[in-house]
Amino acid sequence: MVSRVYIEAEIRDHPRAQQLLKRLHKLPVIEIEHFGEVFNPRAQNFRLQKKDPAIIIAAKNQGHVLAAPEGYGLGGDRNYYFSHMLNCIYDCRYCFLQGMYQSAHQLLFVNYEDFGAQIKHIASRHQGQQVWFYSGYDCDSLANEPMTGFTDYFIPLIASVDNAWLELRTKSTQVRSMLKQQPVSRVVTAFSFSDHFSHSKLEHGVPAIARRIDAMRRLLDAGWAVGLRFDPVVYHQHYQTAFVQLLNDIFSEIDPQKLHSVSLGSFRLTRDHFRKVSRLYPEEPLFAQNLDLNNGIVSYPLEREREMIEFCETQLMKHIPQQSYHPCEWHG
Amino acid sequence: MLIWVCALHCEAKPVIDFYRLKKSHDDNAFDLYRGDNMACIISGIGKLASAAASAWIAARYEDAPSIAWINLGIAGAASCELGSIFALNQVTDADTGQRYYPAPGADSVLPGYACLTLGQPSEDYRENQLYDMEASGFMHSTLRFSSAELTQSIKIVSDNQQHKTGKDRPRISALIHRHIELIDQQANSLLALNQEIATLEIPAECWQQLTAMAHFSQTQKNRLRVLWRYLMNRDLSTEQLFGKIGSCASSKAIIEALEQLSYRESEGL
Repeated sequence: MVSRVYIEAEIRDHPRAQQLLKRLHKLPVIEIEHFGEVFNPRAQNFRLQKKDPAIIIAAKNQGHVLAAPEGYGLGGDRNYYFSHMLNCIYDCRYCFLQGMYQSAHQLLFVNYEDFGAQIKHIASRHQGQQVWFYSGYDCDSLANEPMTGFTDYFIPLIASVDNAWLELRTKSTQVRSMLKQQPVSRVVTAFSFSDHFSHSKLEHGVPAIARRIDAMRRLLDAGWAVGLRFDPVVYHQHYQTAFVQLLNDIFSEIDPQKLHSVSLGSFRLTRDHFRKVSRLYPEEPLFAQNLDLNNGIVSYPLEREREMIEFCETQLMKHIPQQSYHPCEWHG
Repeated sequence: MLIWVCALHCEAKPVIDFYRLKKSHDDNAFDLYRGDNMACIISGIGKLASAAASAWIAARYEDAPSIAWINLGIAGAASCELGSIFALNQVTDADTGQRYYPAPGADSVLPGYACLTLGQPSEDYRENQLYDMEASGFMHSTLRFSSAELTQSIKIVSDNQQHKTGKDRPRISALIHRHIELIDQQANSLLALNQEIATLEIPAECWQQLTAMAHFSQTQKNRLRVLWRYLMNRDLSTEQLFGKIGSCASSKAIIEALEQLSYRESEGL
């Protein structure tokens, strides 16, 4: 829940902003000139703000769609990402967003049309190629769906562009608006999971695993393409049994043959993000574990990481076909 | 640590009386009142005075692990009722146009309001904005030392288009005193928030004791701080922790011992 609304004065009359204000009418509204006034100042404490976040309603004026980092993707010819929101309603301790932004406020860009125009433009530049657009890098694609109406706009848009593919990345159960739409084969909803123990310790506010499996199953039953993301896998004493249990729980409900894609990666953060996050949460065991710095990335010592990934891959391959597996390659 | 910053004695009086703060006689740059985990400084009128007083007191309490701030004072308004109380959610400096966003918490008992900080008194009130003479200076200064979540400005309307309290000091004190219970609630919420941050820091005397055990390079000190901050927030008392490193003969051995302990402690998440 958010406790107040900041809104850019210029965007106040935008129909999407008006709808949001109507929905949030009980909250105090503070008019601002530019979202950076509230989102960017240094004198903010992400940890305290996360307990009491505001929503910032704004317009994004440049950089609507960006090239995805090297190695990011599911085998498409071109990979791009875009973020209609910055920050997430959940509070996962391993998340890089804690180290990325000064603010924990939820920043929502309402000018979807500008994102849409850019997506169409990029896709038209790569005619005949498969162009992927990833959402959910800087936010959870679906968690705020009842408020944002994200899929109502972007799914029909992707459906209208023949060579465009969309990945929605989520930990939420907000699939109702998708279930009201006709499935689009070029839209993949990727659900992120950690084992039950990691979930209980690290994923604050995230819906229970069983509820997310159920949301996934409902999408599959309705004909939507669905993916699985085990990223990050977190080390703890019982990670092996916990991971096996998680797979059993998922595949007792989900037919692995129907999955679009599955990926797997261990916990990692850039050095700068790690430094910032571990200062915010010095008491957090995740950051006190035996970790190494490799090429600017803080992660488990290579041997431990290899052991974890090998174990999880082996278990995963007992369930899924090889061709649907996409490991997260980040060592360069 | 909570620091109140008030322009005038009559604005501070309700707080000084309520918390039974005692005047500090060794400070002469500004009048200062102290209590348990709390202080109140009288800055004088104007944003520069408020900024200077805030910076001065922050320097006096540099050892405090975290400081929360409340600027308490009177304000003018176009149509708000005399005696209305607000927690500012936007402060604009009339001279520079600079805006600040103090963030009263979700459990704030006070309604929010925007405020324009002027260099000179004015009665040319605008709708939807309070007028004061300190808030922007206070924000400008305190945001150097604390985050916006720990910085609040509480204003009580003393003047509007119909009524003026002017320089009637007892009346000003009375207007503020009327809300002292609400102000106390607001202060307690802020103190609780501040405590959450303060308890994460290593107490100064503990850090001194720790770094006196051996010669630590700056890199080692950084590592030591990270390890100690983690371990002191686990179920280990300071005495137990010192016991674990009592036999270590060097800085390297101390860090290695704490690392091993930290790795063991964190395996279960």
